[in-house]
Amino acid sequence: MAGISVGGGHGGKRAVNQEIPLIPFIDFLLCLVSFLLITAVWTQMSRINADAKVPGPPDPDREIEEPKKDKTLHVEMRGETEFELVWKEGNTVIDTINVPRKAVPLGSDDFSYPDLATKITEQAAQGSHRDPTDLKRDQAVLHTDNTTKFEEIIAVIDAIYAPQRALRIGGVEEQIPAFNVTFSVN
Amino acid sequence: MSSGKALSRFHQPIVVPGRRLLKGVPLKFVAKKVAGGGGKSLNHDIPLIPFIDFLLCIVLFLLASFSASGELPVDKDVKLPLADNVEDMTSAPMVAITGNTILVDGIPAGSTRAVKEANRMQKLDELFNLLKSKRELYKQINPGKDFPGVAVLQVDRQVEALVVKSVFQTAALAGYPNISFMVQNRGGGKKKT
Repeated sequence: MAGISVGGGHGGKRAVNQEIPLIPFIDFLLCLVSFLLITAVWTQMSRINADAKVPGPPDPDREIEEPKKDKTLHVEMRGETEFELVWKEGNTVIDTINVPRKAVPLGSDDFSYPDLATKITEQAAQGSHRDPTDLKRDQAVLHTDNTTKFEEIIAVIDAIYAPQRALRIGGVEEQIPAFNVTFSVN
Repeated sequence: MSSGKALSRFHQPIVVPGRRLLKGVPLKFVAKKVAGGGGKSLNHDIPLIPFIDFLLCIVLFLLASFSASGELPVDKDVKLPLADNVEDMTSAPMVAITGNTILVDGIPAGSTRAVKEANRMQKLDELFNLLKSKRELYKQINPGKDFPGVAVLQVDRQVEALVVKSVFQTAALAGYPNISFMVQNRGGGKKKT
């Protein structure tokens, strides 16, 4: 078995060689492995953000601030065959882009909208908050009808979060999503 | 005579052929050593050091992927949608929609049946009251601290937008405008931090 030899032990002195108890050590390691395997979490739960856009103030204690007339991208998913991307400044429509509503299956019960993600990534260059020192993000508002399935809403929000931009804080640069999503309940 | 001597060689008993070299060494243990021993030893040492190294690697990997917070409670009937551009989970009230029941951190908070029957968006009073009381409790526990207003919605992928909108609106009216949808990480995209 394994031991530590440090010499000495001659001339009637007590031996200083020590045996490492390997068997209990292996037992301990096996117990640790078993415990960690049993408590391991193999599914990764995450979240995807969406602010609320509802009539009335969300926080009753705070006054409503007059919104600045920034450009906002409205993603309209009410159409059956295509999405409509509308750039608005206040109530003024600046530009409208139609994207075919083509879901690409990713496995048996999963899909995404890569065409929509590509188009939104192209449109992200037109946003007002592109500077790396700008802490604010461009706003995207999602509109949907009442019969849309939740998985479709998430697929569209996922596509809106696809474009990234640089954000520099204190000399450190990181990539953040170019848009912040607001879910319109109207 | 000579022919008889030669013949006597063939009259020796038949023996199994074996090693002949170094048989004449007088000391038995030396002869055994130099002649290659008496046979293959049946004792084997288990290579313990590589075994321990392997175990240590497993322990380190499992410790690195260990989550002390445990698994988030997800109802087995709820199938969450998948997404790429996701964020890590946060500590916030969990509003779950399982079938027709709405639960806030496991406590029943109304039903979605009224929304489905009316077929229009509605404020869900039970949910509103429960979330509002949670908000007030937070303010009492953390005086002077800004209320984050974050709630996490755990919704089945087949639930209609009408129900999601009603829950979303109710949560926002109760002071939770920053809603997160709970999803499964598809794994392809980067996690935002």
